[in-house]
Amino acid sequence: MADVSFGQYYPTKSFAHKLDPRIKLLFLITYIVAIFLATTFWGLGVCAVALLFCVIFSRVPIGKLLKSVKGVLFLLLFTAVLNVFFYSPKEGETALWSWQFLHIYSGGLIAAGFLIARLFLLVMGSSLLTLTTTPVALTDGLESLLTPLKWIKVPVHDIALIMSIALRFIPILTDETSRIMNAQKARGADFETGGLFKRMQAIVPVLIPLLISAFRRADELGDAMDARCYAGSKTRTKYKKLRFAWRDLVASIFGLAMLAGVIVLKIMLPGII
Amino acid sequence: MQAIRFNKVCFSYETEKPDAADAPFAENSSIEEGFALREVDFSVGEGEFVAVLGHNGSGKSTLARLIDGLLTPTGGEITVLGLDASEPKNLFEIRRQVGIVFQNPDNQTVASIVEDDVAFGPENIGVDREEIGDRITFALNAVGMSAYRHSTPTRLSGGQKQRIAIAGALALKPKILILDESTAMLDPLGRKEVMDVVLRLNKEEKMTVLLITHFPEEAMLADRAIVMHAGEIVLQGEPKAVLSDEARLREYSLALPHAYQLCRALSAGGLTVEDCMDEEALADEIVRKLSASSGAQLEIPAMEKPLIPAKDGGQAVIAENVSHVYNPKSPFETYALNGATLTVDSGAFFGIIGYTGSGKSTFVQHLNALLKLPTAEKHYRPKRKKGEEVPVRLTVAGYDLTDKKTDFRSLRKNVGMVFQYPEYQLFAETVFDDVAFGLRNFSEHSLSREETEQAVREALEMVGLQYTAVKDRSPFELSGGQKRRVAIAGVLVSRPQILVLDEPAAGLDPQGKAEIMQLLHKVHSEWCKTVIVVSHDMDEISEHCTEAAAFGGGRVLAQGTPQEVFSSMEQVREMGLDTPFTAKLTFALRRRGLEIASDLTRADLVKAILLYAKKNGAGIGCNGGGIHG
Repeated sequence: MADVSFGQYYPTKSFAHKLDPRIKLLFLITYIVAIFLATTFWGLGVCAVALLFCVIFSRVPIGKLLKSVKGVLFLLLFTAVLNVFFYSPKEGETALWSWQFLHIYSGGLIAAGFLIARLFLLVMGSSLLTLTTTPVALTDGLESLLTPLKWIKVPVHDIALIMSIALRFIPILTDETSRIMNAQKARGADFETGGLFKRMQAIVPVLIPLLISAFRRADELGDAMDARCYAGSKTRTKYKKLRFAWRDLVASIFGLAMLAGVIVLKIMLPGII
Repeated sequence: MQAIRFNKVCFSYETEKPDAADAPFAENSSIEEGFALREVDFSVGEGEFVAVLGHNGSGKSTLARLIDGLLTPTGGEITVLGLDASEPKNLFEIRRQVGIVFQNPDNQTVASIVEDDVAFGPENIGVDREEIGDRITFALNAVGMSAYRHSTPTRLSGGQKQRIAIAGALALKPKILILDESTAMLDPLGRKEVMDVVLRLNKEEKMTVLLITHFPEEAMLADRAIVMHAGEIVLQGEPKAVLSDEARLREYSLALPHAYQLCRALSAGGLTVEDCMDEEALADEIVRKLSASSGAQLEIPAMEKPLIPAKDGGQAVIAENVSHVYNPKSPFETYALNGATLTVDSGAFFGIIGYTGSGKSTFVQHLNALLKLPTAEKHYRPKRKKGEEVPVRLTVAGYDLTDKKTDFRSLRKNVGMVFQYPEYQLFAETVFDDVAFGLRNFSEHSLSREETEQAVREALEMVGLQYTAVKDRSPFELSGGQKRRVAIAGVLVSRPQILVLDEPAAGLDPQGKAEIMQLLHKVHSEWCKTVIVVSHDMDEISEHCTEAAAFGGGRVLAQGTPQEVFSSMEQVREMGLDTPFTAKLTFALRRRGLEIASDLTRADLVKAILLYAKKNGAGIGCNGGGIHG
């Protein structure tokens, strides 16, 4: 009963939640391409507006979304700082600030700011996908999009089944882990103090029962699947078919408009980088 | 045509470990010898409902796996719906015709959404998309779970999960349904849900049903009962006849149903009554035999008032307004405890009952601070100003659990906790090391070899294991029942004052259950002052505990002697719990106008009835051979 949810999924019944996962995946890809095509702040502005619309139509609290950026904040700042100092100035550009071998140019600051904006939009966009799409829907979407790979004998269907079973067992095994940890804590085990080595040692009494249990479960699941006539993907049919709805058309047009906007701006305005 | 026919079927586990495929608590020698089935002959007719009983490791689960071709017999013939099960080409067809529901609902669901899981079977046999939709509708309807079509199995109750598993089998449109201890992990409400569905399928859809179970009450619903022992069918016939053969049941490590035990006790006391599972019918018969009219008073002899347990006046647990929220401030926020208030006297053998999700497990985890109150968290800062606050109190074995300065390590040493299926937490290379784990963790100074040895020896002997015989063995080699004992020893070894056990007898056969309860009484009288047991088995609580509390909706709904708790029967029923047979019968008698205290133990109820019979000369003396056992 610990964590009922896993991943990031934030349930609301919004427009974005109801979209076909394939469209969402394709939209994300378009969005990423647009971000990398954009070479001006105007171009990024178009992407940012598109993102804003998506956030509004997903009804996910903005705080949830910003939280996802928090995780990569350090990385963001680190790359920005590197960019400032490793900027190669244009001819005739004078440094704003210098100290020994370190120089800061205004161009460097702009480039760093641009990079931060780019990464920020990237992380926000990907998080929005996982916030509005269940892992199961994502798997279905991926499977459907990867179908062409079947022609080169990639077992797309089996991979998808493996993924969905893994997803199904994550909450069960999480639960089991906390149960075993509790049981060992009740026997005086300490997972919170001590150095790295001591903590690694402390994990053994959790890991072994967990592994044994996972194998036992796999065994039983195998029997249950056999009993329900599972015999590989050859003769299988599929009940769930993803369907294209009017929403998806709207989202597709929106995505293409965003891409077009970015491309037009790229042609018309000189790039920063 | 016979649905299932076994002709001299043998099976032995040669390379496989018995635990992997058979019941996880295999205790029996037959498996150790390698034989799981010996020359088994039996058949099940089409549309018949057959129950299979037997202790853990008797071979009954092997039976199910053989029918479905999950195992191949080492000898003899199995025919399922006219198909030879040893022909590999028939396997697919047999599996389509035979649906199996296993014990653990979590391990047979493949998808994260109910309808996708039900669709799994039909997808495998290549049914068209439209028809799969129809089959899902049909299967979910049949188990009464249509409303949950788009839910996540993780969020369902055990009974609901098993109904989904049945639906998953039904979607293949089978002719035979096998339930392999499918109700063993469920609470009484879940068991009833599943059994209702199974009965309806058998009666209305003419489904052939093979029910493997430990519960005599369930076997009673079948057309025929089979008892297995050491890989052989040793007894079969009408369930009523099979289940009333006390001597032979005992020989096969099974027990009489609780209802029959009561009937036998009455008969032994001179008031001959027929064995009877139904409290209404039994009440009618008792009233007739006593020729008691409405208003008759049944009393227990004053001398023999129920035993009051030895108390020292102290309290082991004092809880006031304990609440706990999972996933606070998220869409998944749930109140697991909502102001639970409870007192456990020191010296009690205390029972806690409640349906799954009633908050009992969450409460129990507070007792040794596995879950901490917000005020006991490390980062808790008292807020300066706040409106009216409900006073929260939680004191266990004298430790104040609302205070973050409490020595929680020392608390955990004094409050031992045995979780459900504790054998799943064994990890060490030898039994000795596993038992010593807690001892080493809790000791202030490093223990000498002799000290450790002595403590481990005493703990193992306490749980009824021979020290020298098991200490160097791997815990994973032991039988299921032995593993559980080792796990309990691992908690007892640090000599806690209070021992808390969550469903200590779950998954064991009747004899295993009785042994564990005996063991707990021994622990209670010799080692641990206070024992707290969480259980679904109402008869167990009723027979063994001195006090009990019922949880529901995150609160304590009733507390008192078990009989007092059960005497508020309607309330208990509402909570989705079963009541012990004694309480059912008492209420049936009260409904017939007899005046009888509502909080009697089984022994007292029997005494009261017999006393009345003696006084009024009814039924006594004319019992030819009514005394059994």
